[in-house]
Amino acid sequence: MMQRKLKMSALLAALLLLNGTCAGAEESFAGWLFNFQRSKEVKPVTDSQYKSECSDCHFAYQPGLLPEKSWRNLLTAEALKDHFGDNAELDKDVLQAILDYAVENAADKSWYKRSRKIAVSASEGNVPLRISEVHYIKRKHQDIPEKMIKGNAGVNSLSFCDKCHTQAVSGVFDADTVLIPNYPDWED
Amino acid sequence: MKCKLIFLNIVTGICLASLPGWVGAVGFMPHQPPLSTAGSYTQGVNYYMLALNESDDVIEPAGVATSNAMKNLTVQPVEFEPPFFSRSNAHKYLGLGTLALVGLTAIAAPEEDESATVSSKSRTQGTHQSLGRLTAAMAAATVTSGLLAHWDDFHLEDGFTDPDNLHVMFGTLGAMLMLNAVSKAPGSGHPASGIAGGVAMGAAIKLTW
Repeated sequence: MMQRKLKMSALLAALLLLNGTCAGAEESFAGWLFNFQRSKEVKPVTDSQYKSECSDCHFAYQPGLLPEKSWRNLLTAEALKDHFGDNAELDKDVLQAILDYAVENAADKSWYKRSRKIAVSASEGNVPLRISEVHYIKRKHQDIPEKMIKGNAGVNSLSFCDKCHTQAVSGVFDADTVLIPNYPDWED
Repeated sequence: MKCKLIFLNIVTGICLASLPGWVGAVGFMPHQPPLSTAGSYTQGVNYYMLALNESDDVIEPAGVATSNAMKNLTVQPVEFEPPFFSRSNAHKYLGLGTLALVGLTAIAAPEEDESATVSSKSRTQGTHQSLGRLTAAMAAATVTSGLLAHWDDFHLEDGFTDPDNLHVMFGTLGAMLMLNAVSKAPGSGHPASGIAGGVAMGAAIKLTW
C-alpha cells in the first residue's frame, strides 16, 4: 500500500514538473497537453503594438477570432485603405508587424478551445472578413433578439463585443460573463 | 444478491444524476419563454437574426459611418461580477470532483497482500466500494449537468474534430465505463473499466479546459 502511494506521488510530481516546463508553450500539441493553464477561451492580445494600433479606433479583436486567411486578406495595404468604410492605412513596418502577430496567433494556429471551434467552422466556405460572419459566432448569437443589439443604444451592433462581453479584453466570451447594457436580465 | 447490488448502483446513479436538473429547474423553468423556431439558424440560409442585429450604420460599405457609429456610442461603466454559482460552474466542479474521486478510489483499492488481516482487508474493500459508487454517481451527475448547461454547444454538423463534441463523447464514455466498473465489482475486469473511465473523463476535461 505504501509503495503504491509512493508511486502515485512520484507520478503526480512528474506531471507537475512537466507542466512547469511546458507552461505557456501552447503553440504545440505537447505544450497544450501538458499545460494545465486554462485555455478554454481565446488567447488575449499580448502584443502592445497590435493592441495600441487597433484599439485607436475599435476594440482590439484577438487574432484567435479569425483564421489566418482572413487576417491575410484584411491586413494588406490595399485592404486597409477601405477598412469597413474607414481609411486605416498603416506604415509598412507597423503593418507587417501587426500582420505577423495576427497570423501567428490566428484561430487555426491556436490551441485555445474557442479559437479551435472558430477555425473548424471557418474551414469551409468563403473566407470570413468580419468576425460576425464566422459560422460559429453567428450560431452563438442567433437567439438574441434585435432589440438587445441593434435596437439597443448601449450596443448598436454585434461588432462591439466588449459592450456585452465584460471580460472580452481578457479573451473570455462565455455566457456567465455577459451583461447586455439596458437588459440586465437578458437570459430571462 | 449480485443483481440487487447492480440494481442499487443504477438507482443511486440515476437519482444523483438528476439532482443538477432539479437544482437548475427550481429557478429556471418558470421564466422560460415558449420555444420558437422563428428566426432559428439554418445552415446555408442568409436571413439570420444576426443580420438583423447589424446596425445599418455599421454595415454601410462606404463613408465614415463606422467610425461615427463607434464614436457616438455612450460608454457605460460596467460593474459586473460573474456569478459564483452557475450551471456551467456546477458542471465544471462536478467533473473535477469526479476526477479527484477516481484518484482516491484507485488509491483505496485493496491489494492482494497475503499478510493483511481479514479485518483490514474488509475495511479497505468497504472504503474502495463506497468511493467507487460515489465516483460513478458523480460522473453521471456531471454528464447530466453538462447536458443542461451546454446543450447548445453540441452540434453533430461540426464533426468529430470539434472540441465540444469530443468532450461530450469522452465524458459520456467515461461515465458509462465507471458505472460498468461499479456493476462488475468486485469481479475481475472492473479495475480496467474503472481506470479507462477515469482516463476518458480526464481526456474530456482536458479537451475543454
